[in-house]
Amino acid sequence: MVLELQKPRPVWQIMFSTHHTDVGYLYLVFGITFLFMGGVLAMIIRTHLFFPGQNVLVSDSATFNRIFTVHGLTMLFLFALPVANGIGNILVPIMVRYKDMAYPKLNAIAFWMNPVGAALLWLGFADTTWVSYAPYSIIRAPGPAADMFIFGMKILGISSILSSINFVVTVLKCKHPDLPLRRVPLFAWSMLTVSLMTIVAMPTYAAALIMMLTDRLGLSGFFNPFAGGDPIAYLHLFWFTFHPEVYIFLLPAIGMMYEIIPRFSRKPLYSQASGVFAFVMLGIIGFASWGHHMYSTGMDFTTKVVFMIGTLAAVPASGMHVFNFLATMWGGRIRFAAPMKFAVGGIALFFSAGAGGVLNSAMPLDFISHGTYWVVGHMHLFLIGTIGFGFVAMIYYMFPYVTGRMYNEKWASAHFVLMFWGTVQTFFTQHLLGLEGMPRRVYDYPTDFTSWTQLNQISTVGAWLIGASFVIFLASLIYYSAKGKPANMDDPWGIGGKYYYPVSAKNPHGGHSGY
Amino acid sequence: MSHSEHDETIYRTTPRRVGKMLAIIIGIQVIGGAIFFTHYDYWNSYLPEAGKLQEQQMEQAAVPSTSGAGPSSTQGTFTGKEIHVNLKFIESPDFKSYGFNAPKGSPGADPEIDVNVGDKIDFSVTNGGKSFHAFAVTASTSGPGPAIDGTTIGTADNPMKPGDHGAVSFVPASAGTYYYICAVPGHRELGMEGKIVVGGGAAGGLAAGTGGTAPANGNKVSYSLAFEISPDFSKYGFNGTGGAGTNPDITVHSGDTVTIHLSNPSKSFHAFGIVTDPENPSSVVWNAAFKSPDSPMKPGETGDMTFVAGTPGLYHYICTVPGHAALGMDGHFIVEK
Repeated sequence: MVLELQKPRPVWQIMFSTHHTDVGYLYLVFGITFLFMGGVLAMIIRTHLFFPGQNVLVSDSATFNRIFTVHGLTMLFLFALPVANGIGNILVPIMVRYKDMAYPKLNAIAFWMNPVGAALLWLGFADTTWVSYAPYSIIRAPGPAADMFIFGMKILGISSILSSINFVVTVLKCKHPDLPLRRVPLFAWSMLTVSLMTIVAMPTYAAALIMMLTDRLGLSGFFNPFAGGDPIAYLHLFWFTFHPEVYIFLLPAIGMMYEIIPRFSRKPLYSQASGVFAFVMLGIIGFASWGHHMYSTGMDFTTKVVFMIGTLAAVPASGMHVFNFLATMWGGRIRFAAPMKFAVGGIALFFSAGAGGVLNSAMPLDFISHGTYWVVGHMHLFLIGTIGFGFVAMIYYMFPYVTGRMYNEKWASAHFVLMFWGTVQTFFTQHLLGLEGMPRRVYDYPTDFTSWTQLNQISTVGAWLIGASFVIFLASLIYYSAKGKPANMDDPWGIGGKYYYPVSAKNPHGGHSGY
Repeated sequence: MSHSEHDETIYRTTPRRVGKMLAIIIGIQVIGGAIFFTHYDYWNSYLPEAGKLQEQQMEQAAVPSTSGAGPSSTQGTFTGKEIHVNLKFIESPDFKSYGFNAPKGSPGADPEIDVNVGDKIDFSVTNGGKSFHAFAVTASTSGPGPAIDGTTIGTADNPMKPGDHGAVSFVPASAGTYYYICAVPGHRELGMEGKIVVGGGAAGGLAAGTGGTAPANGNKVSYSLAFEISPDFSKYGFNGTGGAGTNPDITVHSGDTVTIHLSNPSKSFHAFGIVTDPENPSSVVWNAAFKSPDSPMKPGETGDMTFVAGTPGLYHYICTVPGHAALGMDGHFIVEK
C-alpha cells in the first residue's frame, strides 16, 4: 500500500527494481541527500563571507572556488533535476493511468547514471564554476577534477535525455485512451513540457562538453583563444542549453503547485487550459532568451533587443500561472497545511524573483547588475524561493503516501517560517549588495565598505535561518518516517477530495486490473 | 476508486527500515569522503594539455631571441651597489586608475628605477590601497607575468591584503627594461606598472638618452653596419645574427658628426634609425633615420647617413621596420661627453 513498502521487501529489492514508484523513490532519496550535501557547502560559503578579510572556514581562494562550483552543480543537477524526476516518476504514470513508465529498464538506467555522475562531480570537486566558462576551464582548470566534471556532466546529461524520452513517450503514447491530452493533470503536463525542452536543449551542451574536452586535450581550439578559438562561442552553446534549463528546473515546481493548491483550496482548478497554454508558451519562449546572460560580451544592439523581447515574453506566461493560482484560491476554503504554506510562499517569492528578472532582462539595467551579487540574489530567489518551496511542498504532500506516516504540522510550520524569513533576508539582501557593487564569486571583500560588511552579515544570518529550517526538515523526515503517527491513507489532512492510491502502486509487478 | 477498499494491511515505514536507509546513505558518504580527502591534492594536480601548450607559447614569447641583449628571466648575482625603493599600492577613489605610490597620471606615480647589471634593488612594498594586490618584477611588456624568480610578494591567488607589507629584492642579470607590476590580472593595465631600466656592459652607468641636440664640434667619425638575417629568418642583427661582432656598441662624443655606411645584404626590407626606446621605432632622435618602414632599403641596397650626436646618454640603433628590433636588430649607441 505504502509506496516505500508495497508488501514489505528488503531495501535492496527497491534498489534493483524497475518499477516507476521504486525508481521515483530512489530519485527522491538521492535528491534529498544531495540537497543537504549542497546545503552544507552553502552554509560554508555564507559563513566564510560573514567577516571580511578573514579566513573563517576556507583557507584559500582555490578551495572556495571549488566549494561554490560544487554547491551550484549539486543543487541544480543532483537536487533539482532528480527530485523533479522522482516525483514525476511516481505520479506521471498514475496521472496518465498507465501501469509504469513506458520503458521501465531505461528508467532505472537513467536513475543509476545519476550516482555515477554525482561521484565524478563530488570526488573531483572542480573549480571551474558551474558554468565552466572558457578559457579558464580549458587552459587553466586543473585536472583531473575538471575532466571529471566534464564526464560527470556528460553522464548526467545523457541520463536527463533518457528520462525525458521516457516521460514524453509515457505521456503521449501510453496515456489511457479515454484521457484526452488536454485533460492530463497539469503536473504531468509540466513534466511533458520540460522533457521536450530537455530533448531539444541538452544536445547542444553535450556537444559543447565534448568540444571543451578536446580543447583541454590540446587537440582542438574551439573555445581556446590561444589556438584561435572563440570563448564567446562557448557561452552561446552553454546558455542555449541552460536558459531553457532554468525553465526545466522551474516548471515541475509550478506543476507541483498545481497539484497542491486546488486540493488545499478545496476548489477545482480555475483554468486547466490556461495552465497548459502557459506551460507550452514557456517551453517555447525559454529558447528565445539565452542571450540575456551575455549582454556585456559586446553583442550588437539589435541582437540585445531581440533577446530582451524574448526574455520579457516569458512574463505574461508566468503571470498566467500566478493568476491561475490566485483565481483557484479565491473564495476557497483554504487549509493552510504544510504543503499549502510552502506552495503559497513559493508563489509570493516566484513573483518577487520574476520582478527582479524583468529588471535584469532590461539591457541598460543589466549592465549595472551584471556580475554582481544582484544576480546571485535573483537566481537563488528563483531556485530556493520557487523551486525549493515547490519541491518542499510536494515532499510534505507525498510524505504520508511514501511512508504511511504523518509528519508533524508544528515542526513543518516552524520549517516554513524559518525558511521563508531566511530566504527573504538572504536573497533580497543580496540584491542590495549587488547594487552596492559587490561582485559575485568572490572569496573575500575589503573591510572598508561598511555597507558591504553589514549586508553580507545580514545575508549570512538569513542563510543560517534557512540552514536551521532544513535541519528541522531533515530531522522531521527521519523521525516521522520512523515514528510518526500512522496517516489516514484515504485523506491524510482531512480535507476531502482525491489523494493518489492507484492500483499500480499496490501491485508493483503487473496486475493492473482496471482503474 | 472509493476510499474504503483497504481490506489488506497497510504497511508503514519502521524505525528499522529508516535506520537501514540512513546506514546506506551515510555509509556511501563516508566511503566517498574517505576517497575524496585522501586524494585531496591529486584532484587538482595538473594543467590540461591546452594549458601546457599555452604556457610554452608564453615562455617562448617572454624569452628574447637576441643574443645577450635584452632582459633576462632569472636573477643575476649581486656585484654592484644596493638601492632601496619604497613602493605603495594605491588606487584612485573611484577605482578607475591604479598605481604605485600614486594613481597613474598623478605626480610621483610609478617611479622609474635606473640601475646597472649586478645592482641589488631592495623593494619594500606596502598595500596602501583598498583592494588586493601582488607584487612582481617581470621582463614581459604586458600582462601579469611571468614573474622573475624570487621577486614576488603574494600571488594573484593569494594576494596581499590591504595594509599588508612585504620586502623582496631583485638583481638584474642583464641589461634591458624590466617592469615592477601588480600581478593581479588587470591591475597592470590600470596603471600598476613601473619601469626598471637596467644599463649594462659598455653602457653601464649611463642613463637613457633624452634626445636633446648638441652643436657640432667638428670631430668626424664613421661606422659601417649591415642588416643581416639568419637563413631560417629566426634571428636578425647588425653585422651578424647572434655571433661575435653582432650589434657592436657604437660609442661617440656629444657633438661628433657621425657617418654610418649602411648595407642590406639580407633578403628582407629594412630601415635604420637611432631611437631612445627600441620598442618604439618612431622615437627617432636628431633626424638620425635612413629610409622608413613605408619606403625601406631593398635587398642589396646601400646608403650613407650623417648626423650630429646630441646630448649624452644611452641610445639604440635599430631597424625601424616593426618587429625587427625585437628580433635582434637593436644595438647600443652610446653618446659620451
